[in-house]
Amino acid sequence: MSQFRKGQRIEVYRKSDDESWEPYMNTYIGCHGIVTDPDTVINDPDAVIEVSLDGHGTHRLPQDCLRPVP
Amino acid sequence: MAHALCPVSESLRLLETALAGNGLRFPRARRIVEDLQLLIRDVASSRAGGEHLETIDSLLVELRDFAHAPSIDELAAALSRSLLDHRETFVSHIETQNCAEGVCKNLVPAPCQMTCPAGIDIPSYVNLIAMGRDAEAIELIRRDNPFPWVCGLVCTRPCELMCVRGRIDQPVSIKFLKAFSSEKALSDRSYRNPPKAPDTGRRVAVIGAGPAGLTAAYYLALKGYHVRVIESLPVAGGMTMVGIPRYRLPREVIDLEVGMLQELGVDFHFNTRFGSLVTMDSLKEEGFEAFLFAIGAHSSYTLGIPGEETLQGVHSAVDFLRRVALGDHRTPGKNVIVIGGGNVAIDAARTAVRLGADNVTLAYRRTRHEMPADAEEVEQAEQEGVHLSFLTVPVEIEGDNDRVSALKCLRAKMVKRDGSDRLSPVPVEGSEFFIEADAIIAAIGQQIEKECLTLITDLQWSRRNTIVARKVTMETSVPGVFAAGDAVTGPATVVEAIGGGKRAAQAIDRYFEGIPQPTLPPVPRRRARTEWLDIPAASRMTLRRPEMPLLSTERRRITFQQVELGYSENTTREEARRCLRCDICLRCGTCVRVCRDQMGIDALQLGYFDFDNPGPTDFRITEERCVLCGACAANCPNDAIRMEDRGNERILSLCGTILNRQPLIRCQSCDAVIGPARYLDFVQEKTRSVSRSHHDTDVRCNACVRKDAAHSKADNIALR
Repeated sequence: MSQFRKGQRIEVYRKSDDESWEPYMNTYIGCHGIVTDPDTVINDPDAVIEVSLDGHGTHRLPQDCLRPVP
Repeated sequence: MAHALCPVSESLRLLETALAGNGLRFPRARRIVEDLQLLIRDVASSRAGGEHLETIDSLLVELRDFAHAPSIDELAAALSRSLLDHRETFVSHIETQNCAEGVCKNLVPAPCQMTCPAGIDIPSYVNLIAMGRDAEAIELIRRDNPFPWVCGLVCTRPCELMCVRGRIDQPVSIKFLKAFSSEKALSDRSYRNPPKAPDTGRRVAVIGAGPAGLTAAYYLALKGYHVRVIESLPVAGGMTMVGIPRYRLPREVIDLEVGMLQELGVDFHFNTRFGSLVTMDSLKEEGFEAFLFAIGAHSSYTLGIPGEETLQGVHSAVDFLRRVALGDHRTPGKNVIVIGGGNVAIDAARTAVRLGADNVTLAYRRTRHEMPADAEEVEQAEQEGVHLSFLTVPVEIEGDNDRVSALKCLRAKMVKRDGSDRLSPVPVEGSEFFIEADAIIAAIGQQIEKECLTLITDLQWSRRNTIVARKVTMETSVPGVFAAGDAVTGPATVVEAIGGGKRAAQAIDRYFEGIPQPTLPPVPRRRARTEWLDIPAASRMTLRRPEMPLLSTERRRITFQQVELGYSENTTREEARRCLRCDICLRCGTCVRVCRDQMGIDALQLGYFDFDNPGPTDFRITEERCVLCGACAANCPNDAIRMEDRGNERILSLCGTILNRQPLIRCQSCDAVIGPARYLDFVQEKTRSVSRSHHDTDVRCNACVRKDAAHSKADNIALR
């Protein structure tokens, strides 16, 4: 798993296994976006982080469904 | 990624296909389909009103009467199905004037608006600010966010990260524009509450007076509900009041904006702890029918190292900041160590400086690169004298006479663990060192104080100790009970809390009305359609994002005066004019392709169109190459690029950016416009074998040339 930083470009590349994943989020798989607010305190890989998806708004998503876009 | 489909545009496509085919033999059926096309096109282009859907429904009923024509029957069935299955989307198109899928070209929300967790119509208010219409800008913002001034000062501005202007140089300074405009409108006394809806007689209890609770209270009060806000603290504002220091957000700002809720009749009960002084049962007895828990995350994680529990002088950052916010301005110590690397740690460190600490050290386990705090905040902290100690892992708090005397630390190194790209700090054996301290402030994260809610046994909690709520509606596992803010998301941002509070208010209203809750997140609503402002390409390119003027470092070290002094009026208006108006230009690239591939001119260098791989942009290049043929404007799906004649000039503009302007040549006989010389040269080049040169001394339009030729021919015939 990668560590995400503010402003980093990401892709939602799969469905998350986390309990915070809701069915409507399936439509975001494949979307690209930007990390707008990573876990602001402890860089916890388990934290849900705020990402803004191009054309799909801003959401808090678990990190296991995200990967950086080079 | 699958191509996005929008049921509105799909319905329109069905109708267009039907009209283009041969299946509509009955004149009346064709007429109905044409009417349907007209109405659905209105829906897809922000021209639909409240009666459109009803009329569409009745026209479909009428269309089904042509059941003896199978193709018409199929069309009617497909359209009815679409309208039934996706009614919410049709309604959303009409109400929000935005297409969530970005398919209906006139209704694609700008990336900044789409990004804003509160869904504010940013391009419209930025444009209003550029025009100097601050009161209207604030009125527009408050339709989606009741706290424009608070957000103007402390928002984490995700909108700016998605700002398309950032692909050219720097994003538009959206946050600071909002701050200026709010201050100006409030100062002018033009900052007013909108009118309330008639009283519903229903009562809602909001537990927690933070941004989420207050936002919900505001929108519920506007809808005519009786709202009581129950707050354990003596003041409103939640974390904005007791978590954010005054040098970032003056108390007066919060008080003024909260005061506007009181004007709407929101009833505040301060110093009232839910779960002890009031309970859900007691509130139900008073007639409250819906509850919103927006209790925030006011409890801290502990360090878990020896000395933390036993020695005096160890504080949590949340407690420390709260005490200071509520008036306790005693210095925590002369040598203060703050542990953590987030915004709260920075706030605690800068507050300690202002309270008179001689040395403030921020100890962080990782490097500056991994530091999650806002880079500007870190920079300002360093300017104020906060020392940053990276790769520092606290292992024990040392004491002397029951008081903190030092922090024992280990040096760390960053190591990549197997199967992970993340660098993790690993303590280096034998690297112990001590930092002298008489106060230690731990800022390593916050959590929710759930004790006050333990009596609500059906309330589900996540493994992260947050209330489980559907993010779309903020409904919890208990009917009639909603939750929003940090209590749901964990520690998050003010604007996220505002967005959650607004969604909760909408869901509570639906709960009372007995109408189904939405299944998808709300589509941000277009609040205005403001005309763009003209700006020369050179200005659009060369205007730079201004620096925020700051209070002197000396004063910052000893007072809680606001550090960011705000933009001047001129700076604000100029900065607002940097906005590219992405609510109008969809960056589809049609104009670039037509100019380059169809016309072979390549006059549009608009590299910012591409989200993933932005290229170079220069609006000034257009004037060098463009022949003003108008092909770009003719093919723009959204009229973002326009070509028009003004006086003696032909002007090409993109959302107000004047890309090219050339003098017009007029007919010497009738004064009709022939076109700019450059365009005529272009046409002549293409039609060299048959056309006359406009460089001739005799410049006439084609009509006059034809007329003269006809006269001349007639004269010749007459002479013969």
